[in-house]
Amino acid sequence: MALNIVKRLLAGAALLFVVATIVFVALQLVPGDPARTILTGTGATPTEEAVQALRDQLGLNLPIWQQYANFMGQLFTGSLGESLQNGQPVLDLVAQRLPRTLVLIGFSTVVSVLLGVLIGSTAARFGGWWDRIVLTATSVGIAIPSFVAAVLLVYAFGVQLKWLPSGGFVPFERDPGDFFRGLVLPTAALAIGFTGIIARMTRSAVLGIGNQDWVRTGRAVGLREDTVFRRHVLRNSLSPVLTVTGLQMGAMLGGTVIIERVFNYPGLSGLLIDGVTQRDYPIVQGVVLVIAALFVLLNIAVDIAYGFLDPRGRN
Amino acid sequence: MAPHRFRPAAHAGHRLATLAVVTVAALGLAACSGGGGGEPETSDGGVLVYGLDSDVPNLVTPQNQGAASMILNAALHRGLVQYDADGQIVPALAETWEDENEQTFTFHLREGLTFHDGSDLTSEDVKATLEYIADPDNSAKLRGAASGISAIETPDDTTVEIELATPDAAFLSFLADVSGAVLPSESLGQEGPTYVGAGPFQYVSYEQGSSFVVEAFDDFYDASDVPLDGIEFQIIADQTARDNALLSGSVDVVSFVGWNSYDQVEQNDSLVLDRTEGPFMYLQFNTTPDSPFADPLVRQAVAYAVDRQGVIDSALSGQGEPLQGMPIPENSEYFNADYSDYYEQDLDRARELLADAGYPDGFTATMLSSSQYDFHENTAISVQADLAQIGIELEMNLPDWPTRLELGAAGDYDIAVYGTSGLTNDPAFLAEILTPVGRQNAPFGYDDTTVNDLLAKGRATTDVAERKAVYDELSEYVLEQAPIVTLAWRAQAFGYTTDVSGFSNIPGFLTFDSGYTLATTSIQ
Repeated sequence: MALNIVKRLLAGAALLFVVATIVFVALQLVPGDPARTILTGTGATPTEEAVQALRDQLGLNLPIWQQYANFMGQLFTGSLGESLQNGQPVLDLVAQRLPRTLVLIGFSTVVSVLLGVLIGSTAARFGGWWDRIVLTATSVGIAIPSFVAAVLLVYAFGVQLKWLPSGGFVPFERDPGDFFRGLVLPTAALAIGFTGIIARMTRSAVLGIGNQDWVRTGRAVGLREDTVFRRHVLRNSLSPVLTVTGLQMGAMLGGTVIIERVFNYPGLSGLLIDGVTQRDYPIVQGVVLVIAALFVLLNIAVDIAYGFLDPRGRN
Repeated sequence: MAPHRFRPAAHAGHRLATLAVVTVAALGLAACSGGGGGEPETSDGGVLVYGLDSDVPNLVTPQNQGAASMILNAALHRGLVQYDADGQIVPALAETWEDENEQTFTFHLREGLTFHDGSDLTSEDVKATLEYIADPDNSAKLRGAASGISAIETPDDTTVEIELATPDAAFLSFLADVSGAVLPSESLGQEGPTYVGAGPFQYVSYEQGSSFVVEAFDDFYDASDVPLDGIEFQIIADQTARDNALLSGSVDVVSFVGWNSYDQVEQNDSLVLDRTEGPFMYLQFNTTPDSPFADPLVRQAVAYAVDRQGVIDSALSGQGEPLQGMPIPENSEYFNADYSDYYEQDLDRARELLADAGYPDGFTATMLSSSQYDFHENTAISVQADLAQIGIELEMNLPDWPTRLELGAAGDYDIAVYGTSGLTNDPAFLAEILTPVGRQNAPFGYDDTTVNDLLAKGRATTDVAERKAVYDELSEYVLEQAPIVTLAWRAQAFGYTTDVSGFSNIPGFLTFDSGYTLATTSIQ
């Protein structure tokens, strides 16, 4: 198993190398000059000399292969470069923003998995009107785009009822209460769809496994229904749930852009978008690489988790 | 085979269920607990929470870095003179001044001025700052005004004598702009942001993309008249999120309210919408010989073809005023009604002019705008529909903003949409949109001697009546030549709660200097 992980990590590293190259090339192909963008602001009129001087200073006039070599060299020494706008190390910016996006993704995942599994498994187990409600509700939840949900939630709870803040972020150290209050709406917006998916997944898996011979055997042998459900059915139906969870979490890593914009939540996606609009190459490269690295690690973690759930998957 | 239904459980001992209920309950408790709306600590003066419209990653005061930077500069810095809430030039670091013929200015600084770091502010710092601004390598916003300086003398620590090469009637109004702030001479040209200044507030902290915190500067020359203890600028780049922050009460002031939220803010009893018409939208032409718009007749045709109210309705959500001539604000001494109501939409006249110019069947051309800003894109679309009616088919190029700027500077367009504001209410700003000095603000390839001469003359004349005559002559000429076609004034509004007083939107182009009023702002 350990050897497996090491192999996966090495493959992941190779993947990151490819990603880094692709991002670098893509940015060079996009029109729009970082130096001119920085100096022009919203209507300023820098002289051409000033623009070129800034390009020299930022190393943008070096030949492409040299810029690429510098970039790769930096990566190997663990540096993601510096922001073109103010020289701040990209690693610092990422370190500041990443935990917040992770918190948002983490809370959404926890809420969605717990609620989803609960709803889905009970729908499968008890059937009847509850099942019908769950089917309808999850359909709606999955169909609504997360940004529509976000806007509706902000309008209802932030602007009209004023129960919760319409956005922003308060660090945990400053005020834990406000920290959690600020997370409620963004988490809800992300969780509406996610919960629906997990619930559906769980429901199908539970229904499917409920039919299996070995489950009927368990009942025939005299195990209590409760035990049968918990120990045998539920645990085995969690495998597909785990797959979907892993995929969704990966998608959320770069996909919380609109949520972060709507809620003015200072996370990683916002940093990426700002970097693109400002043509701040190091930030874009750095954030994309970090997201890719996290995705690789996430997949490895999911595989390990599989091993615990299903001994057959360990090798 | 039908799916197997489970027999009902003997007892509902689902640990899973319990865990889920507990989690939801915990979140619910957290949601209900915690008083207030996340405002920071307040003491007697209070801390103002201000929703800023964009980030300023590297604040360099003399440069033009956009509206948000101007608010920050107005809080952190002061120059020789400043604007008051009515847009009048009033003393700042300079207590008094005299001028001879608007050519030799003598400023007398207040006694005991210091910067935030405790160092003294003397005439040397003023001189160094002005020389820095005048240097073309530094891309300073006021380079044009400062380049007219021929000599600066500093006979003592509190006296600055500025000699201009020619009289400049607009000199003081340019100096009053927030980017004319005096910086410590050692900090000029250093890498890194220019936070240290002599303004009413001093820098506390900055988190990129998130917030900017300042606190009252106790040694400010007017500190006793500054009610606030500090300001927390929250960076809310998304327009809707910003409007929501104002409507939900999480901020005290917001710049700028989105046009389609104006009604909502006005109808809200606990909010104030403070608006003015400031910046304006206009069309630029590529006036080089190969362009279809090289002929003034064609450009005039465009001026008659566009539906200005249509632009306002579609691009500005109805929040603006048609601009049918020279972009000189109504409250300026140089305003002339004849030259502001010049063009009305007249499609027949437009077609006639096109035919006279040799294009009876119209032609095809490319239009440059940007999809990054709705109002730029929608203006372009509105104009495209108007011009189609006289036979001019426009192909749209709508890249993002940085690309649009690059293409604009390179002249890679036939006709383009742009929006700008005057630096001051003084008509001298017209040089930015009518001569090559303005770069991408000005029509590509336009370098007209008559215009250049008249602008220089207007600047150098000191008698108001004479200046007015010069600008009238310029207006007549420019409107006939139509190197640009003005479309509409844009409304700019600040929104704030009724607890806020002392903050106001300075009228006209000076709306972007409204940060000056933060020094007199208070909250209950």
